Order: sequence, then C-alpha cells, then structure tokens
Amino acid sequence: MTQFDSHWINSWQDAVNDDAAFHVIGRFFTADFLLGFGDQEYVVSVDGGRIERITDEVGIETPWSFALRAPVESWEKFTQRTPPPMFNDIWAMAHPLHGRLQMDGDVKVLWQNMRALTWMLDRMREVPDRTLLEARATRV
Amino acid sequence: MTAIREPIVGGYIHVPYGGYDYRVFYEEAGEGIPLVCLHTAGTDSREWRHQLADPEITDRFRVIAFDMPRHGKSIPPIGFEREDYRLTATFYSEFVMAFCEALELERPVIMGSSMGGNICLHIALKFEPRVRALVAIEACQYSPGWYLSWLAHPHVHGGEACATSVFGLMAPQSPDEYRWETWWYYSQGGPGVFKGDLYFYSVDHDFRVLCDRISGDVPIYLMTGVYDFACTPEMTAETGKKIKGSETIIMEDIGHFPMCENPETFKRYLMPVLDKVAAGERKLAGAGAGSAS
Repeated sequence: MTQFDSHWINSWQDAVNDDAAFHVIGRFFTADFLLGFGDQEYVVSVDGGRIERITDEVGIETPWSFALRAPVESWEKFTQRTPPPMFNDIWAMAHPLHGRLQMDGDVKVLWQNMRALTWMLDRMREVPDRTLLEARATRV
Repeated sequence: MTAIREPIVGGYIHVPYGGYDYRVFYEEAGEGIPLVCLHTAGTDSREWRHQLADPEITDRFRVIAFDMPRHGKSIPPIGFEREDYRLTATFYSEFVMAFCEALELERPVIMGSSMGGNICLHIALKFEPRVRALVAIEACQYSPGWYLSWLAHPHVHGGEACATSVFGLMAPQSPDEYRWETWWYYSQGGPGVFKGDLYFYSVDHDFRVLCDRISGDVPIYLMTGVYDFACTPEMTAETGKKIKGSETIIMEDIGHFPMCENPETFKRYLMPVLDKVAAGERKLAGAGAGSAS
C-alpha cells in the first residue's frame, strides 16, 4: 500500500522539477492547488512550471485555487506504473459515472492549465519504491 | 532510395443537404465493399489513416473516411460565425447517408467510433435497408457528462483543453507516438466544434428506450475498449443486450480511439468482424438479445 506521506510527496516534487518537458509545458502554470489523498492533504505551489513548495499545513491561511480529492485507494491505482482501467486519468476518476475523484474550487484554473497539470500528475508514476523513499530526507 | 507513397487518395465532393451545398473532404483506398469510416467528436478523418493504408483491409473493402462539416478540410456552412454549433442526431445520421448517396455507394458498411459509433444506432433505426452492416466502436445507448462549457471558453486554450481532456480515454498500453498523434488531431479542431459534437454525444443521443426498436435485420457489431471511461465495456454490453442481432466485442488493452491509438491491437479485433461482413454472415443471436464475446 502506498503511503502518500512527506517522503512520497517530496519525491514526486523532484520528479516534476527534474522533468525537462514540464519546464516547457508548464512554463505559464502558476497556481496553488490542493491534493487530497484521503485525509492527508497538501497544497502544491507551482510557479512558472516548477513546484516551489508543498505544505501539509493546510488551513485558512493556506489559499488554493482548485482541489483534487480522492480516496487513497483511487490514488494507489492512479499511481501504478500501468494504472488499471477507470483509474488512469483524473477525468476517468472524476467522471460523474465513476465518482472516484472530486474536483472543487476554481476549476477554471484547472482547465486553463490542464495539460501541465495532467503532465505533472503523470509523474507520480515515477516515484521510486518505498525503500528508496525512506532513505531520503523529507522537506514538507 | 524510393520514397514511401501511401495508397490513400483524397478528394472533395459536394453533398447537398437541407438546402445547402456542403463541400466535403474525404480520403479513400481499396476496392470492394464500401466501408465508410466516421471520425470521433471534434476531430477528422485522419484517425483512420492506418486502416486506409492496410492492404489486408483494402483488398476487399473500398475504405472511405470523410470529414464532417466544420471538421478537418470540410469547411463549415456559411454563417457559422453566428451560430452556437450543436450537432443533432437528425443532421448527423441524415448527413452520413447523404454523403453515401453523393458517392453513389451501394449499401455501404458504416463504421464509426465514439459519436461515430453512437450514430450507427440511429442509422440502424432509420436507414436499415440502405446499409450492409454497422460497426459501432465505443458506442452505447447513452453517454452523458461530456457537454461542458469549458471546452469552448475564451479563457481556456481550446486546443490544449479539448485534446488533454480526451488523452486519458486512451489505454496506457497504446504506443506513445499514436496517443500523442491523436492528441494532436484533437488540438486542431475549430472553436466550439468538439463541444458542439458532444451535444449529440451526451445530450441528443439517448437510445435507452429505442434500442429494442432496431429490427436486427442488419448486423451490428459493438466494439469497446476496456480503458474507455466515457463508454465503458459494461455500458456497451448493456446496450448490446437490448439490440437484436448485435454482437458485443470487448477489446483488452485499448481505449476510446482504437483505430488511431493502437491500430495493431485494434486490427486483431477488427479483422474477424470484417471477415464476417465480407462473408455476408449475419450473426443473429436469439430473439431479443445480442451476443457477447
């Protein structure tokens, strides 16, 4: 079972920031958005195609534009190297027929940056195995 | 070195419909039974380039893929700039048949994907004597949820948003080069065209009470990929159960755009269907129910 903890989220941040294509695709993507893995929530701050910071201290002074919240079980399937049908895409999970991911907030920002957003979420499949993650320092 | 030349040839035909003369682009290859291929919403006939260039298909079929008005190289009707485009089942089904009539096709096979699959059900109901068989890919009786304002909004990049919203409909097993080629097609639709097509796909197309009115006299093949989250295998199977004479085929490791996201995998499922069509076989299951495989 994947633990979407600080080790994991920092490793994803590195995977996004090390991705050369994301610097091109996401160069106009500047926004704060919320990712919810069950009860564990993070606000991700993207500035010009780079994740500048991620915080798990989410409160009234942590603004975000849009939110993607899903049960841990949904994200576990989404982040598999070869995700199963109906879990390979945020739109697959969010479609009213399936209801496995909730989109909230100012979804216009999401639509405006959808290509960059989906590209960076796809990088979740590049996060290394648990044993490698735990050898890393945590920054969140 | 000899350059590779594909056997596909393109042309324009004027299709009279509804008092207007539509200038329609189409591509074709091969000889034999006419096989008219319908593209998905918001894109064009390039989706069928692999099948148009496959000699194992074109040796028995005259494969024809055309661009609906407003799509690809088929220009929109005069006055389009004043309209909120919405494709309807009536226009779509009648226009497909008008195109076939303009080309003087004798009882063609109609094969379409997504909205092109859904319209096959309407053609089955309204134009059965004029078609030989229907291959409805990623089709089902009702496919709600896609008629979204964001797909034609001045604050959103239409090309990137339309293309990215469908990217996840393709299977992760499909080759990257073909998935991104499909994304590219989608990025090139005119403003509001994808959304307008989805009016048919998600609103005007509702066959839930009409499926059992199809006679079953024309073979209908329902083919759906397991990664299609807009029209799931379960939705197609449910539809197939209600259509007499239909056959439901569920395709592994593929999504909503079989012909262009993974032509090799699609071919494994398509060829047996085309064999049956060529043989004139009618796969009639028992009265009132289709079969599944």
